Amino acid sequence: MNPEIEQIHGKEFPGEDGMLFVRTDGIIDTMIRIPLLVASLIIVAAIIPIQPSFSSPRNLDLIIYPDGTTHVSSEIDVDPLDIDYEFELFGSTIDNFVAISENGFLLNYDILGNSVLIETFGSSVITIEYDIHDLVSKQSRVWTFYLDAPSDFTLLFPKNSAIIGMTNLPLDMQLIDDQNQLTLSGGETEIDYLFSSPIVSVPVEPINSSPESNYFIYAIIGGIIVSAIVATIIRRKPRTTKLTQKQQIIQVEPIDIETIFKLKPDIREDDKEIVKFISKNGGEALESELRKKFLQPRTTMWRAVKRLERNGIIEIEKKDLQNLVKLRKNMEGEE
Amino acid sequence: MKILALLTIFVLIFGTTIFVNDAYAQNDLSILLHIATQADKQIQNQLYQVYGDEVPEKIQSLYAKGHTTVNSLEKSLLDNVKQTKKDFLTSMKLFKQISKMIPESVTETKVILSNTSYSNLSSQFDRLEKYVLTLKTISKKLDAKIDFEDVDNLLIKTHNQINDGAENTSETIIQLKSLIKSIQKDIRDSTSHGESDRVKQFVKKQLDVIESKLIEATESGTDQNQIDKAYELIDDIRDLISKNQINDAKMVFHELYKLLKNI
Repeated sequence: MNPEIEQIHGKEFPGEDGMLFVRTDGIIDTMIRIPLLVASLIIVAAIIPIQPSFSSPRNLDLIIYPDGTTHVSSEIDVDPLDIDYEFELFGSTIDNFVAISENGFLLNYDILGNSVLIETFGSSVITIEYDIHDLVSKQSRVWTFYLDAPSDFTLLFPKNSAIIGMTNLPLDMQLIDDQNQLTLSGGETEIDYLFSSPIVSVPVEPINSSPESNYFIYAIIGGIIVSAIVATIIRRKPRTTKLTQKQQIIQVEPIDIETIFKLKPDIREDDKEIVKFISKNGGEALESELRKKFLQPRTTMWRAVKRLERNGIIEIEKKDLQNLVKLRKNMEGEE
Repeated sequence: MKILALLTIFVLIFGTTIFVNDAYAQNDLSILLHIATQADKQIQNQLYQVYGDEVPEKIQSLYAKGHTTVNSLEKSLLDNVKQTKKDFLTSMKLFKQISKMIPESVTETKVILSNTSYSNLSSQFDRLEKYVLTLKTISKKLDAKIDFEDVDNLLIKTHNQINDGAENTSETIIQLKSLIKSIQKDIRDSTSHGESDRVKQFVKKQLDVIESKLIEATESGTDQNQIDKAYELIDDIRDLISKNQINDAKMVFHELYKLLKNI
């Protein structure tokens, strides 16, 4: 009853002539485990900063009023075992401060300079709202918003304001009641804006750098126009009579896609499908709708739309930050 | 193993940083084009309004650079993310520079609170209206049954006065502020029972935890005087809570918290 225990791993094999052998058993396990461990650590490291911690705002939303005053609204996780919570405000000129617990109770607070001490007594989430006059300054006609934000935040600009300077890249932008709302990342942000007057059509074209470049551009434009005229004449000559009839057809609504295809026999089959869809859709469709319909990536669809535009089949208009693709009513203008 | 460990650390530090940095502004780079184009148009408009056809050469040159950069941004939008971001920041910097060069008689000002201009009064009104809305939401959530009729009427009156350009609008706004303050007090009074219950529950729970910690502190040989003082304060708090003197109980609780930090 004394069984001999046989060692499975780590069995030593005497090497011949004193040669050193490296033990290889379990190496496959190790090879699998280590990449797994690395992958897990990467995932954990990537997730950790995303998880909210106490004192970090869950969300931060700012609204700039036309007089430059800013409304701050923030939801913050606090330690439910604490009796109070000290919070750094974005400045010292504060109005209409309110702190609310997760149950909706108004919490007592005491503002001292740039910070506020809020009696939390067991609250785990508090909502803070206040108006502040320190975030926007004005020089000449330019208003400048500056904030060193502790987290990502949204910023709603006043109506009729136009952003004309930014130090950071926005994460997102939305239009809310004709007001621009930007989503920005935490850290220092400076944004300049001014109140826009209605855009007048400026007769002066953007400035060209030198007279030499002017001549060069004129030469290119002239060349393009001349070659376009020559190409049109060459292409039209053999079927002049037919085109006169087609011109009349094209100018009539709705657009006959068969006519388009006859006029543009060399367009690609997949482009034809897009034209058919737009035609069925009442002659216009958003580029995003086309992407969804044909399950194409953004760039592929963009190129297709650009091709059709170059062919004079469609025209692109901006609508709510999106491209609205419309079949042209008069293709002959492009021929 | 050492190499793997070093690789892990490297990937953790740089890899995750890259993920985080690259994630931003990738949502839709066309936003950048939209903002830059808006800024371009606005600057062009401002220049035309101020100078007409005679834009100073220096400003003209800056604007040309800015406009060219916006065009470059548009071209790089699909295939060169790095260039798009660079063009955006460059163009916005140039437009900002131009906008600060466009003259106006007004010199630098901070936001002036006492200004009674239409814009200021309107903004003040907007903020107070939002504040009232917040109070209404709180009141509704807590079922506080607060009458908002007076404040609503005063809001309408103020709104009309601002639109008519009435001289006494500032006085009405002061009245409005005062009324809002009293509403805030009404909400507190009306919800004081629920608020007291919340504080009571928290304090009672915390006192139990503190007492067990004091036992541990006694066993570990902490200064007995301090521990006795803590027990006295606990008794005071329990007494005050039983008498429903919540504010006093809160004050003593603060004192107890300070004392516990030293134990």
